[in-house]
Amino acid sequence: MIHLLTWLFAALFVIVVVGWYLSYTAARLDRLHVRLSGTLAALDARLVRRAEAALELANSGLLDGATSLILAVASVDSLESPDEYGEAREMAESQLTEALDASLSRHTVEALRARGAVGDEHLARIVSSCTRVQLARRFHNDAVTDVRRVRRKWAIRIFRLAGHTPLPRTIEFDDEMPEHLSREPAAG
Amino acid sequence: MRIGIVCPYSFDVPGGVQFHVRDLAEYLIGQGHQVSVLAPADSETTLPDYVVSAGRATAVRYNGSVARLNFGPVAAAKVNRWLDAGEFDVLHLHEPVTPSVSVLALMAADGPIVATFHTSMVRSRSMQAAFPIFRPSLEKIAGRIAVSEDARRTVTTHIGGDAVVIPNGVFVERFAHARRRPAWTGTPTRPTIAFLGRMGEPRKGLPVLAAALPAVLAQVPGLRVLVAGPGDPDEITEGMPAEVVQALDFLGAVTDEDKAVLLASVDVYVAPNTGGESFGIILIEAMSAGACVLASDISAFSRVLDGGRSGALFRNEQPGDLAAGLLSLLRDPARRDALAVAGRRRAARFDWSVVADQIVAVYETVIEGRLAARSEPRTGWNRLLHGGAGR
Repeated sequence: MIHLLTWLFAALFVIVVVGWYLSYTAARLDRLHVRLSGTLAALDARLVRRAEAALELANSGLLDGATSLILAVASVDSLESPDEYGEAREMAESQLTEALDASLSRHTVEALRARGAVGDEHLARIVSSCTRVQLARRFHNDAVTDVRRVRRKWAIRIFRLAGHTPLPRTIEFDDEMPEHLSREPAAG
Repeated sequence: MRIGIVCPYSFDVPGGVQFHVRDLAEYLIGQGHQVSVLAPADSETTLPDYVVSAGRATAVRYNGSVARLNFGPVAAAKVNRWLDAGEFDVLHLHEPVTPSVSVLALMAADGPIVATFHTSMVRSRSMQAAFPIFRPSLEKIAGRIAVSEDARRTVTTHIGGDAVVIPNGVFVERFAHARRRPAWTGTPTRPTIAFLGRMGEPRKGLPVLAAALPAVLAQVPGLRVLVAGPGDPDEITEGMPAEVVQALDFLGAVTDEDKAVLLASVDVYVAPNTGGESFGIILIEAMSAGACVLASDISAFSRVLDGGRSGALFRNEQPGDLAAGLLSLLRDPARRDALAVAGRRRAARFDWSVVADQIVAVYETVIEGRLAARSEPRTGWNRLLHGGAGR
């Protein structure tokens, strides 16, 4: 009888420990998923702001017609790209980066600076929105790395603690600052 | 913005991280933010009014050097009270894996957290062993900053993920306005060079410089070497040749103003550090003051000097190469001036006005991410185990 009780308590103990571990791991994963959804939304907002800044510059009348058109098309493509991240979205963002780099050539940047405050303001907005896109993407991908590492844990796979949440993947697109803006000493 | 900054090292003693925290806090306050800094400090130490003491620090050997840290249940309670009272929009932790108040704050906090990594860690084995304990806490950090590529490599290899590199800041203006002092200014026959730093610490490289001096003195007998920094001169000069001892001029520990004046006055500033530097703030200070820099080619220095374009480099721990580099600079005033000009331009990139703006952009990104976080569809297990809690 005593023998049986000992076993019963031992089993109960194991169940409690496993239960605690599972609940702890689930909470940890939950927190990571919340962080992930936040970083993704922040990246989204930053990309929209970058595209808006580019579109405003394109429509400002400060650029020549051809450059305006390149920039406007790329900005609108970015703004109208699907909400979900996937190849199409990443392509659109890379293309906007490319369009910004191509439009803001050395001559264009000099010409904008020569316009005084109006030009400076546009350039400052582009610089700041590009920096923030870089930060947001870096922080989102950090969160993705953390989530993926935790979801490799056996407890999470066996007990399906992640539910039906799809495994996140890092978001990859070119987010380099336009070359002739990155040399600005005041960039930041 | 309400910003809480945590510094793991004691404010009783000077140090790179402490200065970084102090300058960042003062710059942010100047920009109109509300800033509170939590750091260990003795009750006797007078602190700026934005610093809250986390209590007395204990000297502990950690990661290869002795650091004054703060830990234990009393410190943990203090950290909790500070967090509760602060209601910060963002919490900025420095060196979050140093066993001090940063770790305590990381474990206790729940909000947008930014962390800055300063060191390039050498003792990776022991760190690796400790990481599983920290791992869940480290996952709370939403934005990671590394002060240099070396520090970033530490993050990517030991913690995983990545970090944005935002360098240490310098108040360039404070150094740029330094005037030369005749007593420290070199003449064609008696040129001056400067060494700065704790002279008793071998990795600051004074022995390398001393070993290079006989060869330099043979060509330039009038050379004066101004050594500024704490330490005992008698202990250092023991066993050195007489002509070297004669060339050395010990200034002792100098104030920040004197440091700027010294850097502005000398012909060449020599930084022979042999390693353990993850950044090289002193080089930026020297460049801001308009000094011509000759530094060892350890990776941190090489990056700050833009691969040798903003200052001269010599092969690390090679006194012969140091001597050759120093002699060629002493003989070529035009090159010294060119390097000084290039250095000033380079230093502008590290001014606090540039650096702090980038840090604020990180704060804003992290805060935005937190506000935008929506509730995930909860899984069966989560619902079962937590009900409504945990958010």
